[in-house]
Amino acid sequence: MAATGISESPAEATPRTTPAALELRGATKEFRLRRSRTVTALASVDLAVGNGEFVALLGPSGCGKSTVLRMLAGLDTPTRGEVLVNGGAPAELVRGHRLGIAFQEHALLPWATAYDNVALPFRVAGRPVDADRVNALLSLVGLEGFTDARPRQLSGGMRQRVAIARALVLQPEVLLLDEPFGALDAVTRRRMNFELARIWADQQITTLLVTHDVDEAVLLADRVVVLTGRPGTVRHVEDITLPRPRDKALTRDAEFHDIVDRLTALLDEGAE
Amino acid sequence: MSRSESAVVEGPSAGQHPVGPGDGTAPRADAEDGGKQPRRALLHTLSRTLSRLLSRYWTVLALVAAWAVWVRTRQLNQIVAPTPAAVFGDVLGHPGAYLPDLGWTLLNAAVGLALGLVLGVTGALLVWASPLLSGLMTPMALIMRSVPVVAMIPVIARVVGFGITAVLTVTTVVSFFPVFVMAGSGLRAAPAATRDVFTVLAATRLTRLRLLLLPHAVPAVLVGLRLTASTAVLSAMLAEYLLGTHGLGLLFARSVTFMDPARAWGTALVATVVSVLCFVGARAAERLGSARFS
Repeated sequence: MAATGISESPAEATPRTTPAALELRGATKEFRLRRSRTVTALASVDLAVGNGEFVALLGPSGCGKSTVLRMLAGLDTPTRGEVLVNGGAPAELVRGHRLGIAFQEHALLPWATAYDNVALPFRVAGRPVDADRVNALLSLVGLEGFTDARPRQLSGGMRQRVAIARALVLQPEVLLLDEPFGALDAVTRRRMNFELARIWADQQITTLLVTHDVDEAVLLADRVVVLTGRPGTVRHVEDITLPRPRDKALTRDAEFHDIVDRLTALLDEGAE
Repeated sequence: MSRSESAVVEGPSAGQHPVGPGDGTAPRADAEDGGKQPRRALLHTLSRTLSRLLSRYWTVLALVAAWAVWVRTRQLNQIVAPTPAAVFGDVLGHPGAYLPDLGWTLLNAAVGLALGLVLGVTGALLVWASPLLSGLMTPMALIMRSVPVVAMIPVIARVVGFGITAVLTVTTVVSFFPVFVMAGSGLRAAPAATRDVFTVLAATRLTRLRLLLLPHAVPAVLVGLRLTASTAVLSAMLAEYLLGTHGLGLLFARSVTFMDPARAWGTALVATVVSVLCFVGARAAERLGSARFS
């Protein structure tokens, strides 16, 4: 199913040979405002994310990039076109609890400890809580000493780490991140970027990161898809071939800055 | 806090020494085991607590004083308006006359409050569960809210008769609405992002209710309870006054009938104090609850 989907889709959208884990085909999303007025958030977007690939969806706010992520999570449906996850409807992956998601708002349960928040997916899925797995993830995100802390006792960065640990706890096949560091200050944000790069190197899950931070996209992704305008359309796809592991030294690299400048210019044009 | 506690604990140990009637021996006895400091600390905290209470609740004292002055200057008859001294004297001098009825009123208020809480939360859950029931419950709840409870009393008396059932019906009706509304809005107010997380985790409706919506509604329900707690006592009294067989409301009615103004005013005083205490208690519960659940 996935293989035929690849051969049918336009060549420039999916240049790689691995089967697509996430795929949008001519996806258009219109929102109804009042009676007859509609606004088009996305116009005929084609996008494919390969298995184990990290793709960043970069765009200014209001270009519909979160809508792409919400459609892939099954939280929204396209008005026209197709949204496929592992060749099927997103709902199938959701039903199997094989999708991890984290938002800009940490969306943690305020009354539950960090441990209980990370253990939540087990409870929602009706499975026994795997304490070793929960503890392993808490230490993966660097929160060993904070298992009993409640969200209000944690800093903004720590809350996002808990949210990412929660997204990973059921060993998902797909990880969707909607501006997970959008509410953090610049320094914490950059530190969390390197943290996420480390975690991703450890897990290698198919990941789609939605962001408006160009540095963040280039630092983390294998491929950056630039989305511009209202309605949102794919303007450019940039393969990031910078070597991994990527660390602080990379931010002083000339090639890194070259890519960042080019993508920033693209975003700037799109805004006009 | 810990400082004042230690002062209280050390107070009696200083008192083990033979303390004479005058102040002269006491400091010396304290000085022997270096206990002068605790005694002074005790006095200090006592005066500080007193001045804090005074600064916060001086209006109450002013009100009582104004009452005394008003009775004195207008030279009102005791039957028209008793003096504060007579009223406080009656309450403190004859606690036995108040206690059984106070017990009844508290029981009526508590049971009505509990029933209102259970029915309010259940109603909110039904509205959440089904739009059909929502169409049924919401107008009914609105009617119950819009019609003053006094106007409902003849109907209630006709349907359930006089006595404790009628009183409980009134307190339950009064307690129901705030809890119903607050629980309903609490169930709907879970943040969108958290709801999305549950959707992506393929949560069933029941799981969503149990793990997200109900805990999220707890602070709101406690707000409803705080709004109701003091009213419950007063509505219990009102119901007792009009159709009860026990309680402070009836005590008040009787005292008025038998021309015992000190007792009647005393009943009002007791009811006021109890209502305020209920409110303070409910507010403490609300603070605890919202600290735990948000």
